Amino acid sequence: MNPTRDCGRRIWDLSDFLDTGASPDAEHIAHCPQCQARLAGLRSLHAAALELLEDDVASAGTEESGWLETMLANLRLETRAGRSIPLAGDPSDQLSETEGAVIALVRNIGDSLGGVLIGRCRLDGDVTVPGAPVEVNVNVSARYGYPLPGLAEQLREAVVAGLLVETELNVAAVNVAFTDMRAPIAEPGTEEGGKL
Amino acid sequence: MTRSNPPAHRLADAPDALLAERAGDGDVAAFETLARRHGPLMRAYSRRLMSSVAEADDVVQESLITAWKEIGNLRDGAAVKAWLMRIVGHRAVDAGRRRKSHGTITDQPEPIDKAPGPEQSAVTGSARQALSRALAGLPEEQRRCWILKEYGGQSYEEIAQTLGISAASVRGRLARARTTLVTELEEWR
Repeated sequence: MNPTRDCGRRIWDLSDFLDTGASPDAEHIAHCPQCQARLAGLRSLHAAALELLEDDVASAGTEESGWLETMLANLRLETRAGRSIPLAGDPSDQLSETEGAVIALVRNIGDSLGGVLIGRCRLDGDVTVPGAPVEVNVNVSARYGYPLPGLAEQLREAVVAGLLVETELNVAAVNVAFTDMRAPIAEPGTEEGGKL
Repeated sequence: MTRSNPPAHRLADAPDALLAERAGDGDVAAFETLARRHGPLMRAYSRRLMSSVAEADDVVQESLITAWKEIGNLRDGAAVKAWLMRIVGHRAVDAGRRRKSHGTITDQPEPIDKAPGPEQSAVTGSARQALSRALAGLPEEQRRCWILKEYGGQSYEEIAQTLGISAASVRGRLARARTTLVTELEEWR
């Protein structure tokens, strides 16, 4: 860089140009050797930053194996209760189950079917009133290769049957939305990020 | 053969958006899968923002607690990684403030990797090692801005909000940090 012929552009003008790919000054930048040299410097910096981040992530993940498991164990995450759903019993008793438990049940039922992973699950309707109609709305991720209408029907039946056993909800409908498709299962051992 | 997979394995290839939905519904296994997936990145980020490994891990832990509480309100589950990183950024800055207000530490705490340790000697002489040294020499306020931008992927406005300063100050600090870093990388070459 020649200090006697400073073009007057500052590094942040060039940073903005690099970040956005556009600048009102693009014409000057394209033809100014000083700006081009600075741009090259910024690009090298960005490349080095990506390498450093990659290194940092690799060492953060592998140093003291089990740090994350220890941390997760210490968190003691509690599941969410949601609304309280009444159950008929002896009239003198207050018997109920939580909405969170019912949603977990729907998840488990869905997950046990081949090719299905349950996403968000909502119980729409007044579950706190015995006998009130309730619609179960689930988002589902399906694996390739399962015909979706059949899968949806299988899921509906399983959910209705499961809820009939474990709850007293008046299930008016089970609405299934396929929100995601997953690739076929990878060969054992080749699964990405499968270090568990 | 017919034994069902343990939940963690079943979720291993589930997309972030689905895991975020489940975690929002209270599925601990889904949340833990997200934590395993993005934990190393969160930790790497936190380590560059904090001045000791122990502090950095405290920040990651606090961030996971916050994330578990808040994930039900996350609108776009596909953006959960960026969201987790924003939480780490906020928590790290808060922790830095708390430390300062206790006033037990000097203004310029010793960065984590000022000197290359034995395990780092393999990369000595690389551009990233030169960058690591140059970063360690930056004033903390500049280093934080740069890390929030380059590691955290935050916009000027987000950094300004995280640090409680103006976007113009962010721009200035970033420019100074980049000028120094570019110069030091060029000298190294």
